Amino acid sequence: MSIGIEHFLTVGALVFCLGLGIALSKRNAIGVLMGVELMLNAVNLTLITFSRFATSERPIAGHTFVVFIITVAAAEAAVALALAVSVYRNRETVDVDQFNLLRS
Amino acid sequence: MPFLAETAAGIPDISEQVLWAILCAPLIAWAIIVAGGRKYPTIAGYLAIGGVGAACLLSYITLFNVMDADGGIVKYTHEWFAAGPLVVDLGVRVDGLTAVMLVVVTSVSLLVQLYSTGYMDGDHGEGRYFAHMCLFTFSMLGLVLADNLFQIFVFWELVGLCSYLLIGFWFHKPSAAAAAKKAFIVTRIGDLGLLAALLLIFRETGQFDVGVIQEWAKNPATDGTLVTLFALGLFAGAAGKSAQFPLHVWLPDAMEGPTPVSALIHAATMVAAGVYLVARFFPVFEASPDARDVVAWIGATTALLAATIAMVQTDFKRVMAYSTISQLGYMMMALGSLGYVAAIFHLFTHAFFKASLFLGSGSVNHSTNTFDMRKMGGLKPHMPITYWTFMIASLSLAGIFPLAGFWSKDEILLDAWRNDTGLWAVGVAVAFMTAFYMFRAIFLTFHGEYKGGEPVDHHDEDSHFHGDPAHPHESPWVMTLPLIVLSVPAIMAGWFAYDHMFANFINHALPELPHHEGSSFEIGIAVSSTIVALAGIGAAYAIYMKRWVTSESIRETFAPLAIIFENKYYLDKLYEDVLVTRVFHRGWNRLLEANDRYVVDGIANGSARIARQASLRFRTLQTGQIQSYGLGIAAGVVVIVLAVYSANPL
Repeated sequence: MSIGIEHFLTVGALVFCLGLGIALSKRNAIGVLMGVELMLNAVNLTLITFSRFATSERPIAGHTFVVFIITVAAAEAAVALALAVSVYRNRETVDVDQFNLLRS
Repeated sequence: MPFLAETAAGIPDISEQVLWAILCAPLIAWAIIVAGGRKYPTIAGYLAIGGVGAACLLSYITLFNVMDADGGIVKYTHEWFAAGPLVVDLGVRVDGLTAVMLVVVTSVSLLVQLYSTGYMDGDHGEGRYFAHMCLFTFSMLGLVLADNLFQIFVFWELVGLCSYLLIGFWFHKPSAAAAAKKAFIVTRIGDLGLLAALLLIFRETGQFDVGVIQEWAKNPATDGTLVTLFALGLFAGAAGKSAQFPLHVWLPDAMEGPTPVSALIHAATMVAAGVYLVARFFPVFEASPDARDVVAWIGATTALLAATIAMVQTDFKRVMAYSTISQLGYMMMALGSLGYVAAIFHLFTHAFFKASLFLGSGSVNHSTNTFDMRKMGGLKPHMPITYWTFMIASLSLAGIFPLAGFWSKDEILLDAWRNDTGLWAVGVAVAFMTAFYMFRAIFLTFHGEYKGGEPVDHHDEDSHFHGDPAHPHESPWVMTLPLIVLSVPAIMAGWFAYDHMFANFINHALPELPHHEGSSFEIGIAVSSTIVALAGIGAAYAIYMKRWVTSESIRETFAPLAIIFENKYYLDKLYEDVLVTRVFHRGWNRLLEANDRYVVDGIANGSARIARQASLRFRTLQTGQIQSYGLGIAAGVVVIVLAVYSANPL
């Protein structure tokens, strides 16, 4: 059995759904962040898969995208964790269902 | 070709500048008074006299020019504005009819301005008064000079505005303010008809020119129903302005204004504008026998109705007011009987003697501080000039040979006789009543014992009365001079009937000579109307001078009639209590109020309530939970993907 594009895409889709499920269901803000990271990396996997299997005039474009996303995701994680710390200092909790101040 | 010169009129040799100058002279006087003259009432008075005097002089020049041309037509037209198919001209038209009106308007106006400098002396609003008077004179001149119906309509409304302003001149008096409103609204009802006629004629011909409309009506191809409708629309406007039944109710109330205003606007000129309008479009009425019958019978009804009311009035000025309504009814009756010449001739003579009567009543008021005849009497030795001029004007109005009113009234009766003997009978009855009520007024006012007038209320700041009512005196010369001057045409204006002079002069204003040959003198009609008038005077003499029969016993004999007359046929009650209060306020306004409250407010409040209820439901969706929003987003993406996929399968 040869491993083809559909296997990679299936893994990517599963990881994305996993990440989405975690992001939507976790009460802890850190857990939600982890879910978001999973979703980002699932997308990365999908992109790199297409880059690898598709014939393109610019074969390196998919790789470039992925590198960018990893970089941005790292920066985002830093900001998000800083936010989580800041929220914890103010509210003494990182449970997202407590963050409902926008509700009148 | 000499024979043409005899049959067809020539073209008057008048330059356009003269005609515009007639129009502009009072306007300039108005502008100066408004700009700065209001604080200097004496100067305002001189300005008014100067402006109107200039117009008067030029009017006489115009008259003589038109007379040289045998009453021919001259017109100067410019385009005023154009909007698509609507082209409105601005122009002046002079012919015999216009020339007569110009002379009447400016002469009476000039004398009234002079009189006003005496009568209004010391009033707080004297400057404003002269400004309004100048504006009125301008508007009235514009009305008679106009060469198209649109322009006539504009000036028609302007004179209505001036009438409103001047009736309500003493606007701090509630009765004057109410009278002004009444005059404005009631005439506006008639003007609706005029506006409808204006729109009709625009739809039919696309033009407003007087000549074009006259030709349109004469054209046999024109739909007769449309001509009748147009004629009735014009007449509705005329009936409002000329106080014809059933729109006559505003004129007696208009006596709340200063007396010179009544003399100028509500006796001589503006109220005659309705008659002028019908005469100006006389071919339209010639072409429509139905409309003519309406005009004739409305005129006759008005004449009779007003004359009967005038017989029982106790207010000196209101006798004149009802007399004016009655005489205007006479003119309408003449117009409806194809008596174009007779109507304009009566308008011409009536303007002078009725202005004289009003100014005379103002003179009496000036010395007694009242218009109530029950508080007057015996003024003859104190006010000889007023008495004699009043007497001449009354005799003229009563139609006594050889004064002016005799000739014009006689022509009207003759035309009525030729048209319908019923109209003639009404006319004769009115002639009797006219003589009776005028001499009743004279005997009550100038003869018998003086009853003291109305004491001056020194606490009333608005009162500018500065005489002693207990000791009546003759008015100053500025007031008696106009009376004397007006007595001259009151005696002699009728003599222009000689040899059809007046008729020939104004007939050329129409596209062709009227189908019937003017009016000529007929001894039977003349004698009968004179006898009737003398009988009226005799009756008044017997009742109010000699008191052979007391007025009370007559009143008791004719009690039901007298009560109807004294209550003005209950028309005011009908209009105010039934139409305005019941039908309009309680009926129509209530309906509108209900519509506003339940339908309009219902829609507004209902939509607000629906929005509020819906938002109460929807707000539960706004949890503020980030994860539920995220779930919504994810679900939305899934739905979109599925939708796109099902629409475009791979």
